[in-house]
Amino acid sequence: MDADGAITPERYNYPHFDDYIAAGGELADEARFRESFRIGERAPDFTLHRLNTGEQISLSALWTSKPLVMEFGSFT
Amino acid sequence: MFLYTNEAHPGEHVPHHDTWERKLANARLLRDEVGIGRPILVDDLTGTVHRAFGGMPNMTWVVDRGGLVVYKANWTSAANIEGFLERYRTGRKSGSARVAMSRYETEQIEFRRSDPVQFQRALERNGPSAVTEFDNAHAIWARRDES
Repeated sequence: MDADGAITPERYNYPHFDDYIAAGGELADEARFRESFRIGERAPDFTLHRLNTGEQISLSALWTSKPLVMEFGSFT
Repeated sequence: MFLYTNEAHPGEHVPHHDTWERKLANARLLRDEVGIGRPILVDDLTGTVHRAFGGMPNMTWVVDRGGLVVYKANWTSAANIEGFLERYRTGRKSGSARVAMSRYETEQIEFRRSDPVQFQRALERNGPSAVTEFDNAHAIWARRDES
């Protein structure tokens, strides 16, 4: 986050892991996870880019008929 | 479904995202080199969806029909998720079964297997700076533990 509380692509996509840790980034993320939606609450809907097709797809389209397992991650 | 976020341990060979094209290229590495067969959805450059769900690097959420959050874990354990889904599906179907089941909620600490050797290899694959920066992070964590 910037001083004004706004996230920027540069902050979110940190180039150096040790800088992220020194700034307490992982502690902030752990706290954000705890404070995010609780079990039994409704998750918000978002639209995302589907890698293989390039189409935009909403999460709500994926959880209409059965539970949606959402794993978050990266290559590294 | 796999939701592609920001690079957790960027290095010279797999850099952080400075453009949308870089982000898509790295997401393709995940698909083609790791072999993720599930549909991969790519978040925007500020991680809007990633941060909304908590921002942890390898978390898993399960959302049932209509958007109901039924499982959240700040780290991914395939075995834990498989066990949960089996129990959840059984419980949800219990309305038509002879055995009555009642819903409840829980929070608990879990443990998962880790593989330090494989993790180190992945850091080396990412680039020399990824290795150095993780060593530096260890030093930061050690100083925090002492204070």
